Amino acid sequence: MSRRFPIIIAIIAIVIACAIACAGCSEQQPTTEEIRVGVVASMTGPASSTGKDIWQSAVLAAEEINADGGVYIADLDKKIPIRLIQGDDESTREGGQKAVSKLITLDNVDMLVGGFSSAVVMAHQSIVADYKVPYIISGASSTAVSHRDDIDTSYMFYLRPSADDSSIVTTLFAGNVLRPAINEKFGFPDDQPLRLAIIYQDSPYGKGHQSAIHATIEEYALKITVVSEESFKMGESDFRTILTAVKATKPDAVYAVTFLNEQIPLVQQARRDVGLDTIFLTIEPNDDPDYYSGVGTYGEFSMLESRFSPYAVPNGPTASAVTNFVTTFDTRWNGFPGMMGAATYEAVYVGAQAFENAGTLDKTAVRDALDTIELPQMIEAMKNGVITFSDDYRESTFELYMSQLIRDESVGEPRPVIIWPDSLKETDLVLPDWYAPGSE
Amino acid sequence: MDIGILIQVVFWGLYAGCIYILLATGLNLIFGVMKIVNFAHGEFLMLGAYITFIFVALTGFNPYVLLFATMPVLIVTGIIVERLCFRPILGTGKLNEIFVSLGLIYIFQNVVALIWTDEWRIIPSPFVDVTVSLGSLEMPLDYLIIIFLTIAILSGLYVFLRKTHLGKAIRATSQNRKGAMLMGINVERMDMISFGIGTGLAAGAGTLWAVSGQVFNPYIGSIPAIKAFAIVILGGLGSIPGAIIGGLLYGIVENMATFTLGGAWKDAISFVLLIIVLIFRPTGLFGEEGE
Repeated sequence: MSRRFPIIIAIIAIVIACAIACAGCSEQQPTTEEIRVGVVASMTGPASSTGKDIWQSAVLAAEEINADGGVYIADLDKKIPIRLIQGDDESTREGGQKAVSKLITLDNVDMLVGGFSSAVVMAHQSIVADYKVPYIISGASSTAVSHRDDIDTSYMFYLRPSADDSSIVTTLFAGNVLRPAINEKFGFPDDQPLRLAIIYQDSPYGKGHQSAIHATIEEYALKITVVSEESFKMGESDFRTILTAVKATKPDAVYAVTFLNEQIPLVQQARRDVGLDTIFLTIEPNDDPDYYSGVGTYGEFSMLESRFSPYAVPNGPTASAVTNFVTTFDTRWNGFPGMMGAATYEAVYVGAQAFENAGTLDKTAVRDALDTIELPQMIEAMKNGVITFSDDYRESTFELYMSQLIRDESVGEPRPVIIWPDSLKETDLVLPDWYAPGSE
Repeated sequence: MDIGILIQVVFWGLYAGCIYILLATGLNLIFGVMKIVNFAHGEFLMLGAYITFIFVALTGFNPYVLLFATMPVLIVTGIIVERLCFRPILGTGKLNEIFVSLGLIYIFQNVVALIWTDEWRIIPSPFVDVTVSLGSLEMPLDYLIIIFLTIAILSGLYVFLRKTHLGKAIRATSQNRKGAMLMGINVERMDMISFGIGTGLAAGAGTLWAVSGQVFNPYIGSIPAIKAFAIVILGGLGSIPGAIIGGLLYGIVENMATFTLGGAWKDAISFVLLIIVLIFRPTGLFGEEGE
């Protein structure tokens, strides 16, 4: 009795823990006729906060569509609901392969949406290619994902800006807006180049941006000198030595290609530990409420390339849609959506429209419908106001902008305000008093 | 090359080494006494960060002071885990230990995510803007406190193991389990206490790591645990001095590799060091035959 008792207790504890854990992984219950959409998201692991954002936004879109009766399928001559099935990639390549295999072979999904990390998506693309399942990828910005030719990617559609798109915007901003502002404030010659350091994740995502920055500098003949290039492993949290090396090269600004969980300690350690009082330029995965609250004071005056934020809403046709989405999301989930959530929300709507246009659940017909889809822009501003996919790599094109984090005293945290381009600008770029350019 | 920058890099290595030492020493103490392989050790680091986070949120006290409240909580947690999960399977085979510890990883992660969500958290340091200058070296006070606290905790552990009756009993159990039993030592009690102290040290590592400007969520324990295992093997299984030297070596080599070769080489170079040491000393730096 005495020896068995702890084992029984342990078994009961494990069963309870598993039951509790599974309770959080709710999925919508099956009905007889439905569109099964697999949502590939990092529900566990380092990218889990982004994964949750992806899943919750997909659920919101599916609930809205289902509340309207579902998706009209001509072959059935009726509307049928969307059922979402969660595929947790565990923030790893192997986890993504397992999740996608299960979604396709066991859950028999009609479509996949989501996908965050380029490395993770690259690892499961071949499975999608083999089974020919339409896949609307709302993350994975590296062109190594969308431009690859070693597998058949014809069923994959990319509802996100590529690393090239993001890098062009950010590098052009650095060369044409930030550089003149620094030169003017510190009395440097007008033609003095910007000393730029690049810190990038050692992954297809990071390397894609790194090469795109160089290509942009060369193509646009920007007055930018890259003084340092440092890489780090995905998931890294100790950047002190990298930052010490970067500081020694005296940069005017640091371009960081990171995920949210990397960008927060990177900026904090730079300012707090290494004394690197510089401007950080970062890219869209970090335009997230968790970033603003996590980075705190040290993130103030950082600049972000973006396409969606729950706080900085670009004036224009998408403004009311953004406000509506943010409010609905907050009501449903008690929190604010991030950029990946916004893209996945749209991806579910794009997928629904493709099924309706195809009039069938046949995967080839749905793929063809995605190929020719033209949907009015929703919450993210698109080029020409239309969601469509390019003929060559099936990529969509967004209107991107730069924002800067400025402290909002009412909430005690930094909040983004749009500073570029002029057509969307809310305020001018600010160089803080503590900023010390390397050129000094 | 600027010598000031090199010294700064070595300093970052010392800091990282302190975290590794606390984690690896706890792991080694558990292995030394119980001879079990606990892959869930990194989850105690994660739990330590969360418990301190909660204490800070509830009391607003200095997290360095609250470290001494967190460690006892984790010692008790460790004792419960040992009693419920490892005691029943002790001696039944390494596979059982491995799968129990792997199962514990998922249980701890899911339970913590359920209770505190999986959002990234930070523990703000009260000395965030305080820097100490030593020549060309600018050292944030937090890191000096971390180094000092690590030395203090290890000194306390040394005194406990060397000078107290209980500590001597733990060492005796570690050296010869059957002999200790024949001498009237309750080895199961020693297992429980060693496991508790080991988890307490992991909690210390987690708290100091979190206060030093890191973000954490329920999934941060796995990578430090792998490194702790590598350090334990490098230093020698069951050897606490080995864990200390191994942890310091690891921290410094990692950071020097990052500085000279780039961050992508950080982990690779550390494991190259491990392989080199094992080629020349298969039992690790301070390991003994038969461990």
